[in-house]
Amino acid sequence: MSLINILILIVSALLLRFAFPGKLRRWALLVVSTLAIFWLQPALPIRNMDFWFPLATLGLILLSWALTADGDQLKQKRNWLAVALTLAVVLIIALTRFISFEGLITATRPPQIHQIIIALVVFISAAYLLTRYANPTETALSLGILALLLIFLVLKTPILSLYSSMGLRRLMAQDPALAQSTDLGWLGFSYVAFRLIHTLIDRMMGRLKDIQLDEYLVYTIFFPAFIAGPLDRLQRFRKDLDSPTPLTAQEVLAAGKRLAIGLFRKFILADSLAIIAISASNTSQVNSAGWLWLMLFAYSFQLFFDFAGYTDIAIGAGLFLGFTLPENFNRPYRQPSLSLFWNNWHMTLTQWFRGYYFNPVTRGLRRDGKLSAPMTILFTQISTMLIIGLWHGVTRSYLVWGAWHGLGLFIHNRWSAFSSPKVAAVTQSKPWLGNLFQVSGILFTFLFVSLGWIWFSMPTVGLGWQTFTRLFGLGG
Amino acid sequence: MKDEIIAKTTAYLQQEILQQPNRTIATDEALISSGLIDSFSLVDVALFVEENFDVVIDDTELNAETFDTLEELADLIIERQG
Repeated sequence: MSLINILILIVSALLLRFAFPGKLRRWALLVVSTLAIFWLQPALPIRNMDFWFPLATLGLILLSWALTADGDQLKQKRNWLAVALTLAVVLIIALTRFISFEGLITATRPPQIHQIIIALVVFISAAYLLTRYANPTETALSLGILALLLIFLVLKTPILSLYSSMGLRRLMAQDPALAQSTDLGWLGFSYVAFRLIHTLIDRMMGRLKDIQLDEYLVYTIFFPAFIAGPLDRLQRFRKDLDSPTPLTAQEVLAAGKRLAIGLFRKFILADSLAIIAISASNTSQVNSAGWLWLMLFAYSFQLFFDFAGYTDIAIGAGLFLGFTLPENFNRPYRQPSLSLFWNNWHMTLTQWFRGYYFNPVTRGLRRDGKLSAPMTILFTQISTMLIIGLWHGVTRSYLVWGAWHGLGLFIHNRWSAFSSPKVAAVTQSKPWLGNLFQVSGILFTFLFVSLGWIWFSMPTVGLGWQTFTRLFGLGG
Repeated sequence: MKDEIIAKTTAYLQQEILQQPNRTIATDEALISSGLIDSFSLVDVALFVEENFDVVIDDTELNAETFDTLEELADLIIERQG
């Protein structure tokens, strides 16, 4: 996202808060967020997809909501109002087709009106039928989760995206031979899907009371957090939507400070570091291992400042709107162990995976008692990290990155179980040794995490391995 | 009541989780955010609480926001028992 885009979003947040106090705020948020997802979606090589993807995002939210709702919710006016308002915004965007031959709100000119109307009718009638006739049973909700995971898999697996791109190109009368696996750049989908899955699971487990469509839409496409999180929980988000933090001078100052920090981190620090950060194209340009280390560390910090900067901006803009979004980073590179690093890096994503995968699986295995504690840890840590790797993309490089961290966490856990009592005994009489362990822990963790980023930054495992060996003066 | 919960949980943490029977744990000492209890042991703590106090701590609640100290955990148990 460009600086101009971000500044426009920040100003919109502030204006929205002042112009729409009280109950109007949620409806204004719905309108602005809907506009924002169309406006932010970049143009794609496949015709009109910059319109269809945001529309599909809205369609998925509507269908997910229909799965969680029963017939009684159709009687509530606010749900119909949410449909009408969203529909109005989509139609207005569609009509910009007649004002400009290039896109006004969307990146390119929207598709023909009759096509859009057919899509809208399909989505709305499907949602109506689901709400009216399908109760939110375990089977219905599970099917919804499965469908979302399936789309996720198609978008994140290069070969499947390639085939889908060929299909879509045929549909749009474009040459399928030109299809690329990167054609399907559906903005915000990873976060949207994980928000929806969280609500579907929580409904299934009885942790979430009835959802209203307006709050569901605002929660899923809340514009400050749409592109890069944080990944909030609906139960928490709902509280701020119903009773926002008052906008005092102090709040404005806190938000402004957070935004300034975020902009500095993203556009000054991260973008400067990007010049020397390691990448597939620049590794071959240096000969010495020393430079390569420097470029790797630059990448570690670039990644952190870029992502943490985005989070600061989301949290700052959220504060303007009366929302206290959850934190995503808490000094991750100053943690003395890998397990603490993962407690403090992309925290909302790791908590998501803990809540919906790691904890239930560990709980099941511990209750069952067939696997020993170390074997349980080995299985759950590695599988969790492999899945987190795959969340970033279904490629071998991300799998290696996941395995690197999964194994690292397992080894750390075993080492810690073995050494902690001994370390505690020694450091009790010699506190300086405790400090030494702390500092070496921080350095070692940073080194381990940085080496892991190699698999993250390189497109293939082969290139990653080559870089890895060159860092240690081996290979060519 | 609260003291009893704290005493029982402290003994469990010392012996089973930390394996340091002599380690003192202050009632306001951070357990999760400090890394004293890792994510794996946290599940064991949840199972211990479930078995001994008949209180369920959900999978999505196992984080420092729900409780981070012995005091907060005891309060949570009492609140849910009530």
